[in-house]
Amino acid sequence: MAGKSDRDRPVRVDFAFRRELAEKIEGNLASFCYQCGACVGDCPAMTYSDTFNPREIMLKVLYGLGDELVSEGSVIWQCTNCYNCSERCPQQVKPVEVIISLKNMLADRGMYPDAVKRIITTFEETGRTVPYTSALERQREAFGLPPLEPVPMDEIRKLFEPDEGEEGE
Amino acid sequence: MKKFAFFPGCLIPARHPAMEFAIRKTLPKLGIEIVDLHGTSCCPDPIYFKSKDKLNWLSVAARNLCIAEAQGLDVFTNCSGCTATLSETYHLLENPVLRDRVNRRLARIGMEYRGTSRVRHIATLVRDEAGYEKIRETVTRPLEGLKVAIHYGCHLLKPSNIMQVDNPDNPEVLERMVEALGATPVRHRNWYLCCGKACQTEEIPVNMMRDLLGTVSDEHADILGMICPTCFGQFDFGQMKISKLFDEDFSTPPVYYFQLLAFAQGVPYEKLGFDRQRYRPECLRRWQEETAEV
Repeated sequence: MAGKSDRDRPVRVDFAFRRELAEKIEGNLASFCYQCGACVGDCPAMTYSDTFNPREIMLKVLYGLGDELVSEGSVIWQCTNCYNCSERCPQQVKPVEVIISLKNMLADRGMYPDAVKRIITTFEETGRTVPYTSALERQREAFGLPPLEPVPMDEIRKLFEPDEGEEGE
Repeated sequence: MKKFAFFPGCLIPARHPAMEFAIRKTLPKLGIEIVDLHGTSCCPDPIYFKSKDKLNWLSVAARNLCIAEAQGLDVFTNCSGCTATLSETYHLLENPVLRDRVNRRLARIGMEYRGTSRVRHIATLVRDEAGYEKIRETVTRPLEGLKVAIHYGCHLLKPSNIMQVDNPDNPEVLERMVEALGATPVRHRNWYLCCGKACQTEEIPVNMMRDLLGTVSDEHADILGMICPTCFGQFDFGQMKISKLFDEDFSTPPVYYFQLLAFAQGVPYEKLGFDRQRYRPECLRRWQEETAEV
């Protein structure tokens, strides 16, 4: 949470942040959050971390505290993606999906952890998240399995081009 | 035989071919004919690539589903992550605005998503299309006396309204599938915990895995029955890492369900690729030797 000196100042809602988040798929779901905390009890990241709390993240989204969420080393990378919060939420906020939308905002700014970046790059270069090696091909052969076919990356890349007339997507 | 399109994803064919081998061996015996798809890519993964751009993620997933639709078949996956991506895509694209947006992208490559192929996880495919009784009929060596701890993982069950697999708070599908092999399933106390693989810090996953492996170990099970290849890595290589880190003696070998099914259907231990695991299910090898002597 913010330090004491920050807390003395009135909260300024960053509406540009909220608008940008709302444009992401399911990014606007936090608007339905009434802070009941049902997402907290079964959250494994919350159990094992002093800094991660899904309810607090939803509150920061509502307050428009974009700087605290969309910044280097953001707490949201601690999410385990287990979907317990989504199961428990009585408002169908899907906190995990709001967190993923926040990650999309981080990615738009090139801010993601190296481990995440590596897997994304492997996918964007080969169409798979696990590199295909000759050692693996031999292993597959030993099991009588056919070699993996290359992924038609030209098609995949065409899908990534921004939508026509929808700038900045 | 009923035909289903097979979406193997990345992790199983490119890291655990033994699992793919077991699937191809076991499903035909259950009356399920596997139809391979051509030109598919990574699902894409519901953790990393989805974090980068959810619209791109949806578009690639929809492309994969289009390939199954062209075959006129429902699609099944062997990986909980792939099921999560493809099922969520199927669900989200019921929204006509989003479907239209994704279809404008797919039109660039001459494809159109129609939502005609249902997505099934291999566990539900076997449960619903073959049934537990059919599994039992194909077992030539019932694994009597084998104690199997069960770990579901997160994405097989949740979000439950999208995955539609089982009750996420009290599931039974894996227990029943293990019972059908003649083995005894046990639920470890932390069965509900996540394997932590998707978490991008050290502290959370290592402490969580320690608690998880602790309750698995408490059951003194012969093996740990697995259904998710991501969880599998956490319980195999990860188990070694956690044991060293906390100076614990955790050593329950994880076994992917379909390898266990293949073993029960009579495929010899040596052919199932267990030698590549950090924790090998030696109990199965011994069991095989003992039953051969009788």
